[in-house]
Amino acid sequence: MNHPPIIETTAGALYPEAIDLDLVRKAHVPFAEESKIIEADGNTAAAYACLQMWRCMLFAGFPITPSTKWLETVAAVIRSGKVGTKKKLKLLEAEHAVADYLAGASAACRDLIFTTATSSVGLDHMTESTRSLGGSGLGNAMLVNVYRATANYPLCIEGDPSDALAHRDDGWIQFCCRGVQQIYDTVIQLPCLGMHPEVMTPTMPGYYGIKDSHRSSRLVLEADADVNTFQDRWIAPAKLPGLINGDTALGNCVTSQYFQGFKVDQRRRILRAFDLLSVIGADFEKTFGRPGLECIEKIRWPENEEAVDLAIVGMGPDMGTAAALADQWETSIHKRIGVLAARLIHPFPSHEYARILKDAKAILVLNQAHHSGPGHLSVDLAEACYDLQDPPKIISAFAGMGGAALTAETWQVMIDYATHAMKVPTRRVSPIVVHEGKIIWQKS
Amino acid sequence: MAKIIDIIQRESCFQPGSTLCAGCMESIAFQNIGKITDNGKKTIFGLGTFCGEVSTLQFPNPVAWGRGESTPEDWTKSFGILHHVFESAPTITEAIRDTVDVLSSVGAIKSDIQTISMSGDGGALAIGLRSLLHTINRQARIVSFVLVNEVFANTGFQYSPSASLGSDTSTTPATELHPGNMQPPLDYLGLAVNAGAGLVAQVSPAFPKYFLKVVETALECKGTAVIFIPSPCITGWKFADGETVELARLSCETGFFPCFLKKKGQPAEIKFVERDAAKRPPVEHFMGPQQRFQHLVRKNKETGQFEVRPGKEAVVEEIRTWIQTKLDALYRMA
Repeated sequence: MNHPPIIETTAGALYPEAIDLDLVRKAHVPFAEESKIIEADGNTAAAYACLQMWRCMLFAGFPITPSTKWLETVAAVIRSGKVGTKKKLKLLEAEHAVADYLAGASAACRDLIFTTATSSVGLDHMTESTRSLGGSGLGNAMLVNVYRATANYPLCIEGDPSDALAHRDDGWIQFCCRGVQQIYDTVIQLPCLGMHPEVMTPTMPGYYGIKDSHRSSRLVLEADADVNTFQDRWIAPAKLPGLINGDTALGNCVTSQYFQGFKVDQRRRILRAFDLLSVIGADFEKTFGRPGLECIEKIRWPENEEAVDLAIVGMGPDMGTAAALADQWETSIHKRIGVLAARLIHPFPSHEYARILKDAKAILVLNQAHHSGPGHLSVDLAEACYDLQDPPKIISAFAGMGGAALTAETWQVMIDYATHAMKVPTRRVSPIVVHEGKIIWQKS
Repeated sequence: MAKIIDIIQRESCFQPGSTLCAGCMESIAFQNIGKITDNGKKTIFGLGTFCGEVSTLQFPNPVAWGRGESTPEDWTKSFGILHHVFESAPTITEAIRDTVDVLSSVGAIKSDIQTISMSGDGGALAIGLRSLLHTINRQARIVSFVLVNEVFANTGFQYSPSASLGSDTSTTPATELHPGNMQPPLDYLGLAVNAGAGLVAQVSPAFPKYFLKVVETALECKGTAVIFIPSPCITGWKFADGETVELARLSCETGFFPCFLKKKGQPAEIKFVERDAAKRPPVEHFMGPQQRFQHLVRKNKETGQFEVRPGKEAVVEEIRTWIQTKLDALYRMA
């Protein structure tokens, strides 16, 4: 009897013909036959992107505000028959179970993409599994994180990236998005990065709850065929065996003698994302005419890369407000202002920040999540600028925690504080907490 | 049903190289399951953390799983095994099952795959009870084995919710004030039945023909099949080398771990144990050889028989009552 070829790998034997991926691809029923413009909120955009991928056959979920509509949308579309009858949604009993489920499914078949969405304490509840997945090499797991404040004392259901920022040590590739289109585009691109054979790291696109999850705007919905052609350029059949097409063992334990070696390998893989994401992003831009993956979004920055006096760095949709107000601030404080929005929040692209910020005089960092120190982003930016000859002064402000509105008045207070801090000779500047146009806390 | 003579000639998926204790019932169970599952279908195991995982999948030790000494040419002989967190075994296996099914639904996989989860009783009945019961409730087509040694053996033999009354564990130590664990064990058979499992069984390799029959039946089950395997733990229960199978047999005959089989919608079957206490071997026969019960039972130096220690009669009577109550409940399902 002739047997098909078997490929021996470092992770066991691979039986390449055990799964006929062409039949999976052919079974895909397109959600959109052609590109069209629709109105959608962030959760819907993320759900549609997942549903359009032929590799997404099996979805899993457990509802938690504000990510619930992702799950409801997946359920509604699958039950409508619009994407055929083969895609399945698994409703589990808890977020922990959802993460376990992703681990089992992703290991079963490395060539399919398995997705879910969660928020806040839902992500916390998954932690045991998300930390395992982070080191698993299973880049085909994707978790949409709809930002919401963590902790229940007090419970708050609005957008605040404390969940995402608390989970950076889980080891996933985490991207922050702002706006419906960027959410959709990021979800399409991230599996290309996570499943790349040199990266093999699960991915976590994220966006602000309520502010972006529930706000509708214009969305260019691409044709499924174009989405999948783009992904197929980047996602080749996995070179390592899964449980179905392999003779293999996954999730082994190790002694202390070997543990650090595994962690070094995990780090080496995730750091490859720095180089690859811009290549994938460039291909996306060439294909669809919109910006692709990048470490940092220069929302308002001199085109000729000239230095700015004050760089404002933060995450999410409020950075658009900062960019819109920057003209009037430049006029009033007579300083050149640049606005950057963090895209890649893990691994943190320190080198990119150092390159962009090397000539800035100061950085006003907007932190929107509770932190025991000066703010997650502030700490990371201080580290990023550590080796600069004349590092910019870092001015930390907390505002918008718990999804609080960042009004023009609140921004003005932060700008005034930064302007003052730039004039004083001391390098260390106390963080402030600003709310509704007032400083409500400052370290004495 | 295959003949036992044929099964013992099959290729087990449990291989030499494990670091399980000599005399561990888990290795006997794995060896048997390993051979029974060599039935022409590809096999995938999903494991939560337990002795059976850390002792068989620890890098750089050999992976003690897989069929044959080299990579099988035949894909159906290939073997996949995934370890994930303690409580996760039923859920990860359900996910593997669903992935197989969704791929099969489009014709991408040509032949069926058997999906099996393995947990310890700590993983399945304490931290993982949620996972087990919900997988059963969803009727996932998996076979879930739970190796019951009544303790968290991995972490040093602490109390688990299945710990027998009166047992000395490292977190319910027997002292002059406390007679070991006095928390009645979880009725895991009743829970699994009431959650809607397609098949619930408790069976030991000490009864090999019955073990074979039950596991083969479970592999054909259309819903979730849950098989609890009483697993005398030589280190945790503290008994002498060579007594593993004998203790497993006595655990059933004395009523601690009655052999039990219930298919959904059918009467239960209770085997190798009498309902009438007078017809059963006394509980002292099972308890006596184990140091975890030595505060309750001792060996009479003159007769050589195990007997209840003076002053401990009430505790042992409570154990007898618990066993009878449990057996009566099982017989009511028969």
